[in-house]
Amino acid sequence: MSDAAILTERLTRKFGELTAVDNVDLRVSAGQFFGFLGPNGAGKSTTIKMLTGLLTPTAGRMQLLGIDFSRHPIEMKRQIGVVPEGMGLFERLTGAEYLTFVGRMYGLDKATTRQRSEELLEFMQLADRPKTMIADYSHGMQKKLALAAAVIHGPRILFLDEPFEGVDALAAGALKALLGRMTERGVTIFLTSHVLEIVERLCSHVAIIDRGKLVAQGSLEELRAGVRGAEGRTTTLEEIFLSIVGRGGAERPNVEELSWLM
Amino acid sequence: MADVARSPGLFEQVWLVAGLRWRILRNNVKNKNRVWDVIGVAISSIVGIVFVLGLAVAIFFATVSFLDSRHEARFALLFWGIFLWWQVLPIFVAGFSPTFSFRSLLRFPLNFSTFYFLGIAYGLADSAALASILWLIAMIVATAMTRISLAPAMLFAAALFVAVNVTFERLIGSWVEKILSKRKAREFFLALFVLSMVGVQFIGPAIQKYQKSTKPNVERIVRYARPLPASLAGEMIARFANGDLAEAGAAGAGLAAYSLLLGGLLFFRYRAQFQGEELSETLAPARGAAKSAAAIRGTAGPELGLLPATVAAVIRKEFRYLFRNGFMATALLFPPMLVFLFTIYFSGPHPTSVKHAFSPDLFFPAMMAYVTLMLMAPSFNCFAYEGRGMQTYFMLPVPFRDILLAKNFLTVFIMTAEITVCIALLKWRVGLPPLPVFLATIGALIFAVAGQLTIANWSSLTFPKKMEFGKMQGNRQSGMAVLIAFAAQLVFGSTCGLVLFAGRAGSNPWLSLEVFLFLAGAAVAGYIAALDPLTKLAEVKKESILDTLMK
Repeated sequence: MSDAAILTERLTRKFGELTAVDNVDLRVSAGQFFGFLGPNGAGKSTTIKMLTGLLTPTAGRMQLLGIDFSRHPIEMKRQIGVVPEGMGLFERLTGAEYLTFVGRMYGLDKATTRQRSEELLEFMQLADRPKTMIADYSHGMQKKLALAAAVIHGPRILFLDEPFEGVDALAAGALKALLGRMTERGVTIFLTSHVLEIVERLCSHVAIIDRGKLVAQGSLEELRAGVRGAEGRTTTLEEIFLSIVGRGGAERPNVEELSWLM
Repeated sequence: MADVARSPGLFEQVWLVAGLRWRILRNNVKNKNRVWDVIGVAISSIVGIVFVLGLAVAIFFATVSFLDSRHEARFALLFWGIFLWWQVLPIFVAGFSPTFSFRSLLRFPLNFSTFYFLGIAYGLADSAALASILWLIAMIVATAMTRISLAPAMLFAAALFVAVNVTFERLIGSWVEKILSKRKAREFFLALFVLSMVGVQFIGPAIQKYQKSTKPNVERIVRYARPLPASLAGEMIARFANGDLAEAGAAGAGLAAYSLLLGGLLFFRYRAQFQGEELSETLAPARGAAKSAAAIRGTAGPELGLLPATVAAVIRKEFRYLFRNGFMATALLFPPMLVFLFTIYFSGPHPTSVKHAFSPDLFFPAMMAYVTLMLMAPSFNCFAYEGRGMQTYFMLPVPFRDILLAKNFLTVFIMTAEITVCIALLKWRVGLPPLPVFLATIGALIFAVAGQLTIANWSSLTFPKKMEFGKMQGNRQSGMAVLIAFAAQLVFGSTCGLVLFAGRAGSNPWLSLEVFLFLAGAAVAGYIAALDPLTKLAEVKKESILDTLMK
């Protein structure tokens, strides 16, 4: 239990009659690149929101770095960085102003905030529009800025909700390299993405949630062992995902119904 | 090969677009999830219908009167009124919140002529156009009933006038759409509009002051307007009535030339749209441009004294938001403008509405109360413009009291600056009241502001409502926040009024000040004591706040 960066026990969140997250037990070790997968509406974003303090659990317990989140929310928020669903940007600031604001709110001094803001904007290729407001950024630029804001204080755990959505291939490559280096230095990364190829390439461990329940958790090898692929070929994460989620009886759209399109 | 059986005809497409507009209107009404909103829409619709029908009746009788008294030249006035209504109203209605972009029809397989005629039909289905056409029908019917011989000329002039107006309105509309597609232009126009609404208040006193020169100026303007469409339509009727058929024909030809010219210009605008004119706001990054180090250095802003770094950071952000919000920044001009206006009407050297100017010891507290009323109102929904950024506040390792403190600090700073300007203005125009009344009023301000800020913080967390920059229509305040603000201002205003009047009635001129100092101390203590419970409230309400503000 002590080496777990993220630990949840029977984590539950209900919205009225709907149970969006149902008794989820997660365990993510420090320094792991952890992929959190599931179909649309499975409960991924709700889980991330609870883990980052944006949503209060209905029941259950969560610990980050061995500390109970509900008892020490401010201390916990200092240790984590988040790219939430919706990105949470102040759109009437410029990129530099936003990073400066976030850096100061995390308690960085002026000089450090300035230096890190400059470096992050350069790295994210956002430095060439210093006077452009975030409202005028493209979706991909906003994603990169949200990621820059999430790492400016050097977090020990990074929560990323669809971080590569809308980001061009060039920038995505650099970001993946950066995230890889962060995990080497002991940072834990908790990532959700619908692009299974990205998760397969980056993550060493994966959990799959379906209809609010955790249906699989383990290293990629452990998950592969549970699924039989074509002979002589390594099972892909997509095959694992479809096999596990499909097993639960999830309806897959019947292509035959759209015969007039074919 | 797409399996499309046939292409829909022009009228079928017009019918489909009309149906689309109707569904948008119906769904907008259906989506009102608050009873008060539905009641508001119902009341404004009834008021609108009564206004349009009432004017139709008035125009009918005006037409009858002009014909009976053989003042046909006056028809130009009616045409001018209709022209201004038809052209100006759609800019304000559609300009700030387009609910449906006509250009979006371009994704369907339309040919250009269909697109052009759909544009015209779209213009004729506009509420301003429908009202204008109804008023023109009232003129035609009145003419037919009063002098049937003039009815064909009226019908012909009205038809040409409709053609001119619909093409002109569509032309302006497409240019407005092009201009307002840029965020900065949108906000600039909104600020200009709001400023002009306040500026209109000064017309009355100005006319009163320059009364003698008003009439010749209006006559000069009317003379210059003769070659314009509304005057031509009036001229056509007047000449026809007098038997000057050649002159009437020339005026009609002028109108026809206008409609052809505007139709031609509209043709070129629509062709640019049809060919894929780009109105996107987002720019591609200019790689390799100058480095932003200097720009980043400027973002830290000045040091803010002894304030904690987190509070100072939020204050800097709030300042930036204030001056980048055209409406809010423009609203900073209102208190001195309106105080100045009130001095013209009720006090100062030459009041226009009362014989004897109000004395400063009544006028000064009243103006301070009015300024407080205006400046405190946004605090009751202080997260309105945060949008998605609200999420950041809840992600940061900062107690929510720091964010409330920063927002309240900015409110107090703005109030101090505005009140200082207003005091200087009042000193110049009216004079200041005796020292006990002056100080008592300042004490009352501290009491009222500290007390209201506590309630405003609670209101902002409990009844948040999202508002958008550069948008006017549909950008209404939270109904509950308005009610709470009204109730709070009523309570604080009447308390302050009672204390001030008690001071005037009693023998001790300093009594009011003493009472206000006590009340202000209690209000400030209450404000500080409420910060921690409000921080807990923010935690409890965070889900509903984020749900509401991030929609």
